[in-house]
Amino acid sequence: MLTLDLLINGLVIGVFYALMAIGLSLIFGILKVVNFAHGEFYMVGAYAYTLLALMVGVSPWLALPFALIVGLLLGLVVERLLMRPLYSGYTSWGVMRDEYAVIVTFALSIFLINVVDKVVGPYAYKGPPLIDISRITIGPVAISGHRLIAAIVAVAVIVAVALIIRYSFWGRQIQAVSQNRLGASLAGIDTAKASAIVFSLAGGLAAVSGALLANIFNPTPDVGVFPAIKSYVIVVLGGMGSVPGSVVASIILGVLESFGGVYISYQYRDTFGLFILILFLLFRPQGLFGEKAREV
Amino acid sequence: MAATQPTNTRLKVEFAVSLVLLAVVAALPAVVTNAYWQGVIIVSMYFAMLSIAWNLLAGDTGQFSLAPATFGMLGAYTTGLLSYYYGTGAAIGVPAAVIVSGGIGLLLGRIVLRLRGPYLALTTLSFAEIMRLVISNSIDFTRGDLGLNVPGIFQGRLPYYYLFVIVLLATQIGLFYLLRSRAGLFLRAIRDDEIAAASRGVRIVYWKTFAFTLSAAISGLAGALYGHFAQFVSPELGLISQTGIVISMVVIGGLGTMVGPLAGALLVYVASEFLRDSGNWQLVIFSLLVIVFARFFRQGLWGILLSAFNRKPARPAAPATATE
Amino acid sequence: MPCLAIKNVSKAFGGLKAIDNASFSIEAGELVGLIGPNGSGKTTLLNILSGHLSCDSGSVELDGKPITGLRPEVLARHGVLRMFQLTRSFPRMSAFDNLMVTGCALGLSQSDAEKRAMKLLEDLSLTRIMGLDAGQLSGGQMKLLEFGSCFMVPPRIALLDEPFAAVHPTLKEIMSGFIRSRHAEGQTFIVVSHDMPVVVELCPRSVCMNAGRVIADETTRKVLSDKVVIEAYLGGAAA
Repeated sequence: MLTLDLLINGLVIGVFYALMAIGLSLIFGILKVVNFAHGEFYMVGAYAYTLLALMVGVSPWLALPFALIVGLLLGLVVERLLMRPLYSGYTSWGVMRDEYAVIVTFALSIFLINVVDKVVGPYAYKGPPLIDISRITIGPVAISGHRLIAAIVAVAVIVAVALIIRYSFWGRQIQAVSQNRLGASLAGIDTAKASAIVFSLAGGLAAVSGALLANIFNPTPDVGVFPAIKSYVIVVLGGMGSVPGSVVASIILGVLESFGGVYISYQYRDTFGLFILILFLLFRPQGLFGEKAREV
Repeated sequence: MAATQPTNTRLKVEFAVSLVLLAVVAALPAVVTNAYWQGVIIVSMYFAMLSIAWNLLAGDTGQFSLAPATFGMLGAYTTGLLSYYYGTGAAIGVPAAVIVSGGIGLLLGRIVLRLRGPYLALTTLSFAEIMRLVISNSIDFTRGDLGLNVPGIFQGRLPYYYLFVIVLLATQIGLFYLLRSRAGLFLRAIRDDEIAAASRGVRIVYWKTFAFTLSAAISGLAGALYGHFAQFVSPELGLISQTGIVISMVVIGGLGTMVGPLAGALLVYVASEFLRDSGNWQLVIFSLLVIVFARFFRQGLWGILLSAFNRKPARPAAPATATE
Repeated sequence: MPCLAIKNVSKAFGGLKAIDNASFSIEAGELVGLIGPNGSGKTTLLNILSGHLSCDSGSVELDGKPITGLRPEVLARHGVLRMFQLTRSFPRMSAFDNLMVTGCALGLSQSDAEKRAMKLLEDLSLTRIMGLDAGQLSGGQMKLLEFGSCFMVPPRIALLDEPFAAVHPTLKEIMSGFIRSRHAEGQTFIVVSHDMPVVVELCPRSVCMNAGRVIADETTRKVLSDKVVIEAYLGGAAA
């Protein structure tokens, strides 16, 4: 049945989007900036997974954690080198810290895309599937083996992250810093470390997302651009800084795109998300679940 | 003590240097007789206009829009479509481009009035992508990715070269008088602290919209002129990477100065031509430079040059504003 | 007709009542102190008066005309000028230009604005640093500059939010001297301050707020010896 297929398809894609969006949302929650290079964390993960599996001949199940680690490291390095100034009293950009973040992450995005383009080459590779069964039938629904397994892995990761944030020591530190940075530091929380952990985690999550989707969206240097744009839509829709909001919004977007692509317009399906983004930014910037940004 | 106007002195110096730069550019064809390289400088002047326009919006008014290249594309397509459907030339196309781009810029400005920082960036980025996608997908109307042919204005390169020089000169002169006037005070006040500016009586809505409109109009003008020079326009003019190039030029040259965008554009584009021969590493290098400059040299090359010349005793560091 | 009339103004943030049915009036030429413990709603009230916040109910009238809901820039042009608790200035513009912004925004011609700016800088002993960017000034100098901005065009009413907080005694002297002389010329002020000696010295009349309500409104001496006010500061029934 077409509708069910579209629904399942949308849910699965939504879960993958959620992996990326959660990281972006967390970064915004703790640093109050949008990471314009997020798509490139995704891309790096996709390449790490694909290249390790194809070139070195390792099983995809080992390449996946490798991609995760690469993502974690990349996030950490970026945070240390570039994001420090946002809160450590670097005054050259003064009150224009938002603009600094925009410029730096935007430039980083272009840098990463082009470095990979030069070093690895612009030609698309095909990421190996996690499992070689091309079609699994569950009841009335048929789905590719890889998508199913990848979706299960993604859900597992999302649940793990949610639990960590909610209940672990560092998870609660992160929540505190996101709510009130100054207050948290006064309470003795190492805000720098919290920021580093968040950025690193976000990088890892995006990388895993890229790896899981490498089989569906072949890794090219700019493969991260569209997922990034989707992530921005999701994060605004779900409320910047709200993890559950991002998950819900991801599912919604995934399903919307799945149906919209078939019933409305395939050509313009990427513009839906952008229009929704603009509308929300204008009329409900806190999204569905986020907190309203306070002024003065 | 004589009444001095310190910010104006800075402005005068920047303006004077930019005039010198333009004079050098004007004199270059005496030495650079190769048509290809003259073309390179012409394109760099197109980027200079985009950079100047973006700097007005971002560097002087503090609105970091991610859509500079988009308005160049809109200007180019205005004149391109007019000539495609009505056979008009530059005499009609160029003014129309200014009006259309300016008009869309005005709308965008009104829409994003209440947005700051990342929200502003995201909205303008989405706007940029939507515009590009719409133009590139409306194949029946715009011929999409195939692009449009645009009639030229002159025979030979040099007339185009000097057309660009003259337009650049006019833009810089206009900008100089603008920034010296109360408009300049208001724009920079909005940039430095919008809330304070409002509480001092500055009409925020009017001036922000003004900045967006003027910036878009200048970009549209540049785009239209480029269209008539290259005699071809395509949606690639509005790619995000083009915006990235413009931002690189301004940040490397010196954000918020009158010289920075001009010098940055000329330097970056000409340098990228040299790099093209050794394997297309331009974007890698320039994006890296932007990161380095944003991180360490906020005032760009112009700032570095100034501090080398000034060598005044170190001023007390600006107090860190606790704005959490 | 009073210069400023605050009538039954209330403002709540979520469940927290920041201002609870506050009312008082100020005649032209008065110098009124607005005091009260932290969190009593003083700054919130000032934000409402200057247009940065809207009130939930009640009204504010300037010379009889309602001004509730007007934007800050409109109010500024009506003559309501303010200082912020956390000093706001234009850090990348010179001190001189900082003053010029206000002058030009409020309708002065370029040359008039220049003259007034120079005079103000002199009156505030800031001429020496007029060429420096505001961001390079010391905290006290920035505060003085922000203070001066309120007077580029004589305001209908000047709202000063903690002007003396963390300020060097010399600068404090300059500011209070300035306030006194302008007051003598008929300038209307509201001064929010925790600095009791200064409030006693400068303000003939004080309004005291606590937990969003106006709990006292009389001559400063009477207010400061009012039992309710003392309790508010030291904790007790009103907290």
